[in-house]
Amino acid sequence: MSMLRITGGAIHDPANGEDGVVRDLCIQDGRIVASLPSDAPRLDAAGMVIMAGGIDIHAHVAASSTTMARRLLPEEHAADPQAAPALDDGTIPRSGTGGTVPSTFTTGYRYAGLGYTTVFDAAVAAVAARGTHAQFDDTPIVDGGFFVLMGNDEYLLRQIAAGETERAREYAAWLLASTGGYAIKIVNPGGVELWKRNVRQVRTIDDAVGDPRITPRKVLETLTAAANALKLPHPVHIHCNNLGLPGNIATTLDSMRAVAGHRAHFTHLQYHSYGGEPGKPWQSAARQIIEYFAAHPEVTGDVGQVMFGPATTLTADGAVEYMLHASSGRKWVNSDIELETGCGIVPYVYKDTAAVAALQWVVGLELFLLSPDPWRLVLSTDHPNGGSFRSYPDLIHLLMDRTYRDARLKTINQKYLAGSALADGIAREYTLNEIAIVTRAGPARQLGLVTKGHLGVGADADVTIYAREADLSHMFATPRYVLKAGLVVVEEGQLRRAPAGRRLFVRPGHDPAVERDIKAFFDRYGTISFENYPVARVAGTPVALP
Amino acid sequence: MSRETPHVTCLGCGLTCDDITVVDTDGVITEARSACALGVRWFGDGRVPARARIGDQDATIDAALERAAAIVRGAPRLLVFCATDVAGDTIAATVALADVRRALLDSVTGTDAGAGVLAGQERGRATATFGELRNRADRLCFWGVDPAVHAPRFQSRIAPDPDGLYLAGGRRARHVIAVDIGDATGPADADERVRFTADEAIPALALTRAAVLGHTVDGSPLADRAAALARTLVAARYLAIVADGETGPARAIQGDARDAQDEGLLALAESLNGPTRCALTTFRAGGNRAGIDAVCTWQTGYPMTIDFARGVPRYVPYDGAERRLARHEIDAVLVVGSAAGVPERIRRLIGAAPTVIVGPRASDSPFAAAVAIDTGIAGIHDGGSVVRADDIPLPLTAPLAGRVPATVTTVRALLERVATS
Repeated sequence: MSMLRITGGAIHDPANGEDGVVRDLCIQDGRIVASLPSDAPRLDAAGMVIMAGGIDIHAHVAASSTTMARRLLPEEHAADPQAAPALDDGTIPRSGTGGTVPSTFTTGYRYAGLGYTTVFDAAVAAVAARGTHAQFDDTPIVDGGFFVLMGNDEYLLRQIAAGETERAREYAAWLLASTGGYAIKIVNPGGVELWKRNVRQVRTIDDAVGDPRITPRKVLETLTAAANALKLPHPVHIHCNNLGLPGNIATTLDSMRAVAGHRAHFTHLQYHSYGGEPGKPWQSAARQIIEYFAAHPEVTGDVGQVMFGPATTLTADGAVEYMLHASSGRKWVNSDIELETGCGIVPYVYKDTAAVAALQWVVGLELFLLSPDPWRLVLSTDHPNGGSFRSYPDLIHLLMDRTYRDARLKTINQKYLAGSALADGIAREYTLNEIAIVTRAGPARQLGLVTKGHLGVGADADVTIYAREADLSHMFATPRYVLKAGLVVVEEGQLRRAPAGRRLFVRPGHDPAVERDIKAFFDRYGTISFENYPVARVAGTPVALP
Repeated sequence: MSRETPHVTCLGCGLTCDDITVVDTDGVITEARSACALGVRWFGDGRVPARARIGDQDATIDAALERAAAIVRGAPRLLVFCATDVAGDTIAATVALADVRRALLDSVTGTDAGAGVLAGQERGRATATFGELRNRADRLCFWGVDPAVHAPRFQSRIAPDPDGLYLAGGRRARHVIAVDIGDATGPADADERVRFTADEAIPALALTRAAVLGHTVDGSPLADRAAALARTLVAARYLAIVADGETGPARAIQGDARDAQDEGLLALAESLNGPTRCALTTFRAGGNRAGIDAVCTWQTGYPMTIDFARGVPRYVPYDGAERRLARHEIDAVLVVGSAAGVPERIRRLIGAAPTVIVGPRASDSPFAAAVAIDTGIAGIHDGGSVVRADDIPLPLTAPLAGRVPATVTTVRALLERVATS
């Protein structure tokens, strides 16, 4: 039986209404408990800030696309070698490489080093899910899960065309259970299929995807309804059409309206919040997103902040990456993935001297700073698309410190910033509790993880303890202690232990009768046997459905 | 007693067909139903030795592991060579061992497919998984490669023969172009044939790409042929260019021409996206080579030829196993996988250093081993996973599981011994 009493720290646990309360935090056998014997081991956190472990709701860390990106970037890896840490828990410490797409062991170590203990890969092709589990097996410390790409799945599109919404739902359930995934992901609904036909953008969400009965709207409606009917802990996770294009606010808002009244999560909204139109000046449309959110409590989102510096854009949205490659001349990977989805990768640098990158930086910050409800709009950089997860501390600094933010704002390209809320001045500074919401409590609530993101009795003892510092970037980059399931993994700022993480997945039931039709589709068009498609074993137990 | 195991994945080539039914009688494979000639040869009768040897003496596995650990621990400059017929978990343990011992890690990719990997890292790659080709590619251009030789079921399982979701009519709905490069010929039944000499192939690629991009070319006969090829490629709705990803001795195109070809094909495929859609796909040889690349990449950031000597992974693609061995800079060698899959030019050099082999038929190795521990063949005796040549992972059903020690168990036991020393 392991026990630990953390004493003297200020607890920021917004899920339980605690805002800097100084009290003991008791841990036993990996869980938060109400009390411990007085002689339980102690950890002195006097004067420090205590939060639950961070949760990254949207990152790219363990998909086949991530490994394609790693393969593409030897120059980045050579510039950021990572020696094996000095661990004292008997696990074999592993070296690796960093850059914007670190190797797996380094990914786990670095997330833990930031105080993050749970990470979701936001875009996994179902056919490649087996490889994602293998990568998570090699990503220590963090609990991991993934979202399964369905928004361009050929079998699903055929069900939509046929009006078979029930079969579409059962197929989604079968796919989640077969892959060990956590949620349904839509990327550029119908648009990836169109890219395979050399069509690079949709005009509206009512464009036909080949068959006029298939449209982005139908895909959104069908999968949103499926996720809600299956009572998945996380609603459908939507990457809208026309990512990164000027004027895309129209399709973004249309997409939101298409599923109005139903739970849905809209991801990396920064990339979907642009006014203007091709050939004309870009504008921030962050206010329109915020207005929609204010009127629709059923909607959640994450920001997808752009941070200046190197990034690797990688997405199932192949058309976007083609356009980025064509416009930037940078090296490019595209992989069309059979019957399901796509993949594109372009290494990139967001320069503060570039007008569009500067606007993107501003739009993201506006979404944060105008948001009336941080529970529903949480932190992400769409790692590594908008920047590495290692930039989160600097992003937190920008949110908490207006002086720091305004000074940075003055140094960036102003071309498209006229009339933007941030340029006009936003006084808001996030509090520690608001940071705890957008990095822990909010993602946990959005993901339906009832034992994560908080420090109440029964919660997983994933805990991060920061020493207070004036330099907020440094404070959030170097937590003094990090506990994972009650085990101290970071001690005095040094990584000391690297236990295996847990897999987070769901296993919704489905009507077995649907399998006959799916098998017939596999037999006719697939290159893998139906019997070999499901991942046979996923370690652990699935997250319970309500 | 005869037994059938369905849905077995074949590692005879990089296509990894997973529809094989293996029939065995008392542990001897009598039939690999649906397998091609390469697959039948790869499955064989499934019988492998199960010995452990120290030098030329039989030993217990424990004793062999102890001796192997002593060799591995005692080598300041260790080469870990990942050969073929290994499952994903074995590769992961092998990379871990190289990391822990600060070894040079090389593999059959570094020796036999490195040029294509390097070209892809310079330029990127426009590609697709096999199923996309099956369901969408209305034109296929086989560039100096005949699938009947290197992936015999490609034509019947992938393209051009099957019906596709967007290509009803199968073979009749597709246009097949064979580009013959000297003696390296495309499929015999192609609808269109273009011939280049080996010397013409590289300039032809550049000229074809120039024509695709709309640049005026020089009007030479070669340029005219390239322009004609460009026109037929651009006429596709979805084009698949199929080439060979390997450079081993059994392959048709070799040497410097091969390096230039890899880069040229990547550039051509990239340029065809825009006018149309295009995917370049490459054949790999068997034994889970793409799996070795994938695991190495996610664990280290690099797909091949990694030097851990400084305590961090360093990419040394131009200074791999062959060169280090030739310079006598290797003190000991650990081969994991089928010794028979180690390229001949590495085999010739290995004898100078004490060598440990852990893998199928290690005790029948074609080169001398200080320690040899026989284990199972991935996909026949060992389960786990494999990665298809197009990066799609597949499960391995082991029809003869449990008859010889599993490779992963043996490598992990060795890792445990050397990591805790």
